This record gives sequence, C-alpha cells and structure tokens, in this order.
Amino acid sequence: MNDRTENLLLALPGILLLGLAFFLPIAQMLMLSISGPDGPTLAHFARFLSDPYYLNILWRTVRLSLLITVICALIGFPLAYIMTKVGPTARLWLVVIVILPLMTSVVVRTFGWMVLLSRSGMIPEILRDMGLVGRSFALMQTEAAIVIGMVQVLLPFMTLSILGVLTRIDGRLEEAARTMGCSFLQTIRTVVLPLALPGIVAGSLLCFTLSASSFVTPNLLGGTRIQVLAASIYKSVTATPDWPFAAAQAVILFVGILLVLVPYIKLTGTRHG
Amino acid sequence: MKAIFGTTVLSLSALLSTTAFAQDNSITINSFGGAYETAHRACIITPFEEATGATVNVVTAYSADAFAQLRAQKDAPQFDVIHFSGGQEIVGAAEGLLAPIDPAGLSNAADLYDFAGANMAKGEGPAYSIAAIGLVFNTEALSTPPTQWTDLLNPEFGEHLVLTDISNGYGMLGFLMLNQVQGGSLENIQPGLDAVAKLLDAGAIVVSTSPEIQQEFAQNDAWIAPYASDYAFTLRQAGLPSGFTQGAEGTPASYITTNLVAGRDNTELSLKLIDMSISAEAQECFAEALRYSPTNAKAELSDEVAADVAYGEEGVAGLIRFDPAVIEANRTAWVEQWNKTIAR
Repeated sequence: MNDRTENLLLALPGILLLGLAFFLPIAQMLMLSISGPDGPTLAHFARFLSDPYYLNILWRTVRLSLLITVICALIGFPLAYIMTKVGPTARLWLVVIVILPLMTSVVVRTFGWMVLLSRSGMIPEILRDMGLVGRSFALMQTEAAIVIGMVQVLLPFMTLSILGVLTRIDGRLEEAARTMGCSFLQTIRTVVLPLALPGIVAGSLLCFTLSASSFVTPNLLGGTRIQVLAASIYKSVTATPDWPFAAAQAVILFVGILLVLVPYIKLTGTRHG
Repeated sequence: MKAIFGTTVLSLSALLSTTAFAQDNSITINSFGGAYETAHRACIITPFEEATGATVNVVTAYSADAFAQLRAQKDAPQFDVIHFSGGQEIVGAAEGLLAPIDPAGLSNAADLYDFAGANMAKGEGPAYSIAAIGLVFNTEALSTPPTQWTDLLNPEFGEHLVLTDISNGYGMLGFLMLNQVQGGSLENIQPGLDAVAKLLDAGAIVVSTSPEIQQEFAQNDAWIAPYASDYAFTLRQAGLPSGFTQGAEGTPASYITTNLVAGRDNTELSLKLIDMSISAEAQECFAEALRYSPTNAKAELSDEVAADVAYGEEGVAGLIRFDPAVIEANRTAWVEQWNKTIAR
C-alpha cells in the first residue's frame, strides 16, 4: 500500500460524508429549482427576479448581512487586539466571555433578546425612562433588533478569527513603528491592520455567510413582516408549499454566497499564499 | 422525498402493528398530539376501551399528514377511524377513501346539530368538536368587551391589536372573516388585504404562531386578537386576564371530524368509536378540557365553560364554514398576496 492509497483511505469517510450530506442535497436542490410541470424551466428564477417583493427581500438580506459584518468587525478587532495585549489570565477570561454565548443554543439566546427588547422589556423601558424615546417606541420586529441579535451571535466568529492572526504578529514590529515616530493610531493603521487583514477577511466572510443564511434570529426578532431570504425559503416550503420555488430561492442564496467566496479566495490567495 | 419516506415508515409501522394485533378487537386511529391527544384519550379513547374491551392504536398525525397517509394506503388502508381538522374529509369522501355512515346506526347522531352530520351519507364523517374563531381580548384593558368583527378596525386599538399570519389555519379563518365583513368574498380577498394594510399602518402586530400571541398579551400589552376560543382559555390558564367573544357578523369555524375509513373490516367497532365521539359526555369533556365547542345539542356546559365556546342553538347559529376546498385551491396565491401586504 503506497502513500496515496493510504491518504485516500483516510480521506474516504470524510469524502463519503461530504458527498452524501452536502453534494447530494445540493444537486437535488438544483434539480428541484428548475423542475416544472412540463420539464425543466427557469420560471421560478424569473418569478423571483422579476418581482420587486422578492428582490427587496434579497436586498434586505444582503444589506443587513453587510451591516452586521461591519459592526462585528468594528467591535471584534479592538476586542481581539486588547486580548493580545493583556496577561494570559485576563486573556483566558476574555476568550471565555466571548465563547460563552456559543455554549447556549441560538434559540435560547434569541429568546433572551426578545425579553429584553419587547415593548415592556428592559431596554425600551430604560430608554423611555431616560426620556430618549417616545411612549410608542418599540425595538421588537425591527431591523435594528435583527442586527443587535445577529451581532451577538456572530461576534465570537469574528473575534476569534482576528485573534488567531493577531497573536502571530511579532510584537517587535509595533515597537519598531513606535520608535520610528508613529503614534498609537498610526501603528494600528500602518502595521497591525494590514497584518491582521487575513483574519478580518476570514471573520467577515464567516459573519457574512452565516448571517445571510441565518433563519432563527431574524425570524424571531424581525417577525413575519420583515422577511429575509432564509425566512422566505422556509415560508415557501411550509406555508404554501411550493418546493421548486423554495429551491430556486435557495439556489439564489447559494450562488450569492459563492460570489462572495470567489473574490475572497483570490484576494487571500495572491496576497498571502 | 422526506415526507414520502416518513409516510412509508409510518405505514410500515402501522402495518406491523396491525399484523401484531390481527385480532378483531383493535382499531387504529390518528390523533393530533400534545394537549389535544391527552384530552382525546381522557374523553374518548380510554372510556371507549373500557366500555368495549377493545384496544385502540393511536398514531399521532396532523390532518394533512394523516390524509397523505390515507391516500398512500388507498389499496390497503391501515387506519380504521381518521380525524381531520382542515376539511380533508370533503376530498377524502369524494375520492372514495372514506365510507358513508348511516346515521341510523349511531345512537347519538340524532342529537347532533344539523350542520355537524349533514354529509355522513356521502362519507364525510360527523364533526365532533369545533374550534370557533372570534375575538380574544384582554378583559382588564377593555372595560367594554368587543361585540363585532368590525370592532377590530377601531382606531383606538392601534398597536394593541394582534393579527395572525395566514400560514396559520386559525389566522386564515380570521382573515377571511375580516375580509367578509369588509365586503370581500372567497373570490376576492382584496378588501381584507386593504383592511389589514390599514391596521398595520395604525401599528398592529403580526405573529405567526399561537405562543407568540401569548407573548404579545403577556409582555407587549396586546388588547385584542382574532383567534380561536380555546386560546382565550390557554391565556387565562397562564394567568392573563382574557375573554372570548363571538363577533356578531358570524363565527368562522374549523370542524374537527371523525371519519370511517373505507375498506376496513372492523366497521362495527369503528362506528362505536365514532358514536362515542359525538356523544354529549365526550363533548362536554372536550369543552371542559380544551374549550372546543360541542356539536351535540344535548351537551350541557357550566356557565364558565359556555362563556368560552360557541354554545347552544344561538351560539352555533352564527357558525360559518369557509369552503376548505376553495381555501386549499387558493392557498399559495393568497399567502403570497398576504406576504406582500404585510411586508415592510
């Protein structure tokens, strides 16, 4: 038995699992999305792409995912940077705090937000008491609620991705920059940020793909009136039930995410090997 | 694909279980799970087993799933008695999957309200309870209870009104009723959609499941919601001050029927179960436990229970049944129109 067959044997269970659990369903979804009563058709795609209602859902999904990703990066980068600067005990605690939310189910966490954001919940109540908002102020069933909930869900992915890269940056580079006259912010901008870029890109990619395809949090916090693509797919499957159209929407989501992946692979491929 | 697989597994297990109990003294039925199945057992199944010495195999399957199984088993049906809440018996009877029932053979048939057993001879089994859709309201916030469906349009309610998405069965019936009082019909739901759009502009909330309604009443200061009578009871049990009232214009109803499956041997035993389901005692028990409305005119309810259901000649006089076949045929189009109306 040579190396190659050994490798192949070792990889076989993984490949089989991937084939069964990933490629087969995707292939089936692709087939379903073009199936019509009289043979293959692109009618489901045409219906989606020609209807402002569905295009609006798509646009909202992309817009919210971008916003969530940017906010995660804005919070995640400083957090990760601080983690690299503090002592080992403090860092451990910070990591635990960041990871802790991942230990509970996303549904449970979202229910927590529902309690906090509801009309008589803590956050609107405090804002009202401080006189910052009117009496009818509500956070539930708004896009803001989705963003708040999703940022909390996705922050660990962003922070840990950036942390992984930041810990490998040689501390002497920053010291060199400072002795050469850079201010703290200049050091961050010219030295740390460029070196942390692969981490930020990887984290952003995770955040974007996860939030574009997420269903539970947007559905619970946004309500039925604010639809995102995943919720629309769910509705097509269960409420109508129109499986080919649901499959077409899933393909559009899938292709959209692929379109984001390709430039990423090119970017990281050429820059950092 | 998955559904077909699930059906196959279920039918196989049903097949195995019936082979195991191949004796005459057992029948297989479906129930709807959860609190419903608990009440179903307590009010009908257990008393039936005690009275007849027979064994009842209960398969948990909602109406749509049960109907899919019934169709798949056309040549070798596995259910003896099948229960539906979505009007599937109309299609089932037309397709010959259900057997006609002679009302003369049921001791309790004569006590049923006319509408409940009207089409037994065609194969549509009798309705043994009814989920009545009316106005569920907060008794503390509304000192004068609402009386009619058009009260929903009261601008005072604003953001205290809760509507239910029409992907939910009760939500669909409530919406169709609102549509009707606004001048619409099953051919034209635009008046209803316009009314909903107006209510949403005024701040109304849309939810998609029952527990969310409870949440709105508990946490978000909801005052009123068009929904099923049993839910006002659920809210009250959760400690929320809530009442139920039938709108003066009529009460859309979801009939829960008990049907005799065609092509089975144990007809006699099955008919006994059906007879028991439509008895006054069983229906009193159901009304007591879950606040479903009785279809047996002789069922006697305490004032407390009667207040929550459509009760007596007067109560059932206003019951409206929107044609389930029309709803089914239009569901896809309606849901899409609805989604577009409520989308922000």
